[in-house]
Amino acid sequence: MYVYRIMLFLVFGGYLLSPLLMNGWGDPDIAWYRPFVIWGGLIALTLWLEQKRKLDER
Amino acid sequence: MSVELVGLLLLGFGYLVLLFGCGFVIERGWVPVRVVRHPVVYILAVGVYASAWAIYGSLELAAHAGYGYLAYYLGAAGAFLLAPVLLVPIQRITRTYQLASLADLFAFRFRSRWAGSLVTLVSLLAVLPLLALQVKILGEATHLMTGSDSPALIALLFCAAIALFAVVFGARHSQLHARHDTLLATIALESIVKLLAMLALGGIALFGVFDGPGDLQQWLEGPGLAYQAATPQLEPAQWRTLLLLFFAAAFLMPHLFHITFAETLSRRTLLQASWTLPLFLLLMALPIPLILWATQARGTFDVSIAAYSAFALSESWWVGALVFIAGLAAASGTMIIISLALSGMILNHVVLVAHPPEARADLYGWLRWLRRALIGAVIFGGWLFYRTVGMHNDLTTLGLAAFVGMAQCLPGMLALLYWPGANRKGMVSGLLIGVMIWLWGLWLPLLFPTVIPAFPVTPLAPADAPLWYHVTLLALVLNIMALIVVSLFTRTSTGEKSAAEACSVDAVIRSKRLPLDAATAEDFPQHLAQALGDEAAQREVIRALKDLGLAVNERRPYALRRLRDRIQANLSGLMGPSVARDIVDRYLPYRHDDQPATDDIHFVESRLEAYRSRLTGLARELDGLRRHHRRTLAYLPIGLCVFGDDEELLMWNQALTALSGIEGDSVIGARRDSLPTPWAALLGQALALDHTPLYKQAVTLHGKTYFLTLHKAVLSDHDSRGGSVILIEDHTEMKWLEDELVHAARLASIGQLAAGVAHEIGNPITGISSLAQNLRYDTDDPALLETADQIQQLTQRVTRIVNSLVGFAHGGRQATPLPIEPVALSSITEDALHLIHLARAGDDVTFENSCPDQLVVRGDAQRLTQVMVNLLSNARDACQTQGHIRIEAGAQHAQAWWRVIDNGQGIDPRVRDRLFEPFITTKAAGQGTGLGLALAYQIVTEHQGKIEITSPPLGHSRGTAITLWLPLYS
Repeated sequence: MYVYRIMLFLVFGGYLLSPLLMNGWGDPDIAWYRPFVIWGGLIALTLWLEQKRKLDER
Repeated sequence: MSVELVGLLLLGFGYLVLLFGCGFVIERGWVPVRVVRHPVVYILAVGVYASAWAIYGSLELAAHAGYGYLAYYLGAAGAFLLAPVLLVPIQRITRTYQLASLADLFAFRFRSRWAGSLVTLVSLLAVLPLLALQVKILGEATHLMTGSDSPALIALLFCAAIALFAVVFGARHSQLHARHDTLLATIALESIVKLLAMLALGGIALFGVFDGPGDLQQWLEGPGLAYQAATPQLEPAQWRTLLLLFFAAAFLMPHLFHITFAETLSRRTLLQASWTLPLFLLLMALPIPLILWATQARGTFDVSIAAYSAFALSESWWVGALVFIAGLAAASGTMIIISLALSGMILNHVVLVAHPPEARADLYGWLRWLRRALIGAVIFGGWLFYRTVGMHNDLTTLGLAAFVGMAQCLPGMLALLYWPGANRKGMVSGLLIGVMIWLWGLWLPLLFPTVIPAFPVTPLAPADAPLWYHVTLLALVLNIMALIVVSLFTRTSTGEKSAAEACSVDAVIRSKRLPLDAATAEDFPQHLAQALGDEAAQREVIRALKDLGLAVNERRPYALRRLRDRIQANLSGLMGPSVARDIVDRYLPYRHDDQPATDDIHFVESRLEAYRSRLTGLARELDGLRRHHRRTLAYLPIGLCVFGDDEELLMWNQALTALSGIEGDSVIGARRDSLPTPWAALLGQALALDHTPLYKQAVTLHGKTYFLTLHKAVLSDHDSRGGSVILIEDHTEMKWLEDELVHAARLASIGQLAAGVAHEIGNPITGISSLAQNLRYDTDDPALLETADQIQQLTQRVTRIVNSLVGFAHGGRQATPLPIEPVALSSITEDALHLIHLARAGDDVTFENSCPDQLVVRGDAQRLTQVMVNLLSNARDACQTQGHIRIEAGAQHAQAWWRVIDNGQGIDPRVRDRLFEPFITTKAAGQGTGLGLALAYQIVTEHQGKIEITSPPLGHSRGTAITLWLPLYS
């Protein structure tokens, strides 16, 4: 259950900070694929939390 | 008809025929079940979220809001990231109560059929623009590729084929809450098609138009800068609102709710989707800017038709075909699932509410055909909306109208899960206000752009903010406020409170223990037949019994309540929770006695066990304590059972299971009077007690007599749960010991009596012996002399017996010391046989002395003769006519064995262990004293020997062998 709280924190934190993702459009200093890299990192984190949750509930 | 149009029709219908083919192949079972039911199939099927908006709408949004288009994907990804706390609880409720749609869920939680009807109406209104969006994409794509003047007609043809597919593969079951393997697999296939198509288009953009990532970066830093700078950016607040809309859409939209919750899939798969769906969406979103930038780089970008930019990627016909197929796969999947989900909602919450089902012969068939008609109607409604409205509006307008409308159910949904205080009036008030604002601001202007007065600028957002933003903020804020305020200031019904507890994430249902009118499960079909007809009632009851693993003749009130709940849940999947509840309440009613209903503790415990992993903190600690106390009672080495005030059995521990041979699971929940014999009567007596225990009640269990003592305690009167606890102690062993004690005391008395009798007999025996001696002196007649001899021998024997009896009575002390002399076993066997012949005519029994002459033991010849006489006497009495008794002997090491074998009736197993006890006999009363073997045992023990008894002897089917082991004379 504690893992769920991390997920809640992650999603609401991400929700508040997400407008920063849009800054890359039209900014040559920011790689165009940056939003997707952050997104991919979030998926990897979720996958890790999912594994942790399985251990937690075992 | 142009060549291009024919080609496109062939392509489109060819794809749909391929879908039909896949459906057919899966339906026939030609694809292994493990493939069809693989979690990946489900995860891909959830990809139905990526509708035609994900391809065309996103391109349009990206052209107008840059990375703002990502809100569509990230909103849904956020909802699935929260699967453990958001989607899993919804899945738990929908699965437990067989709720197949959002309307079912609202009708169940808020205990109102009108709540379900309202949500259905809102869903229908919200989904129409989304359906129109899908149809529009098919029509516009056709127009762009072929220049056709009648895109609406072409779109109608595609709609008809899609509707046919939905009817054939989606409406086979009348039960909405069932897994449609074929449908899921084909939707998964569509997800693969659109994903591959998008990746291919992204690849064409990156490597076909640009020369790879480096070239793209160069373009972005050069000529592309102007294009990007011209793209307006979303305000952070607007972006967050868009995220919220798509977050809500990910589980509120009818098709998403259907695929996520109505298809019976495992919790594990849903949790896996928390990262796999975001990954799928990432791959779908990645090509969007590439396609846009590629068309800008090629100079073929037209902002007015930005949604269809992918067609401008290349002049090649096959690239256009790829874009079309991607759109067709996305649109058809969305339309199929939306039509299925909405048809179920309309059927359950509009049609069946207006016309409740009657007891018709073919209820299932009737429901199936109604659903099929509604599927067709929903898809045709989508086309009609496109024809009248969609053709004149862009994709973003249509999509946002749909998503803002559906988001009005979000406050109600969150309250349903996390706020048990919310009630029907609050939810309906909030929803109505939100929906009216949405209709006024976004939906009605689509239909009547010139008639509807302009939506006012709200103080919640800047004046220059887009209309959708104003409408969304105002509608959601007022919706939430109305929900909270009205819920706080109005009364919540009892039924609603109980449903709120059932739905709440942190609550466990506190079911009440009420008796049903139906006495057994066999009565259920008869009651239900009035509503469903005989056949459907029978089928539903059998199905529910099978689900619960109960027998047809089940009588336990607990089991009958679970059966009622299961039937209601199953009917809910068939015709919605409102109608199901009405039917069950009316035809399977609870009996309301004068006694107040108490909590169904056993049910609450089983639910707590199931939800244990969800508990945290103090709740988890308390649950740990509860389990500890429960185990203490369960493993108590004394039988324990607990009854409610209504005499329903609530607990039956393991010791009682071992004692009674009755498993707790088979009787818990039963009434006391329906327990097996003798427990019903015995526990009835115990319950009737005040405070005095019920001592040593004789009961027959497993063919043996047990003596049980029962103690009862009444659970506190102040506790609303009430009831009584009964302890059952097995006092059988103690009773036996008590009986033994009494028996021993009786033996002691008899021993004293026997010693007195022996003393009195001694004198006359001495007289008889003297007279026999005199007789010998007085006669020379050989016959008389022999008689006198025999009299003397017999009197000596009587004297020895009397001495032995006296010795036995004096605690085993012998009157005279044991002489040690050589004794030939053959000789004393002969003596014993001789005496036996004197005591009774033994014509019907033959004796055989096989003892070797040379075998000599150490002991007292007289006493050993007495032992042999006793053994032979017993053996003779045990033999029937034609009996045969053999006496044999032998030596082994320093011991001689001396054995009497008969072919008699053998020894009763019940007395075998007690044969050497005094007064134990199997002979009829008056025929045996029960002292023979006891004396033999005593004598042999005095000779430092032992006795072994085998009955029947080895290698024989009957008879007894008694073997004496005596020390050899050396």
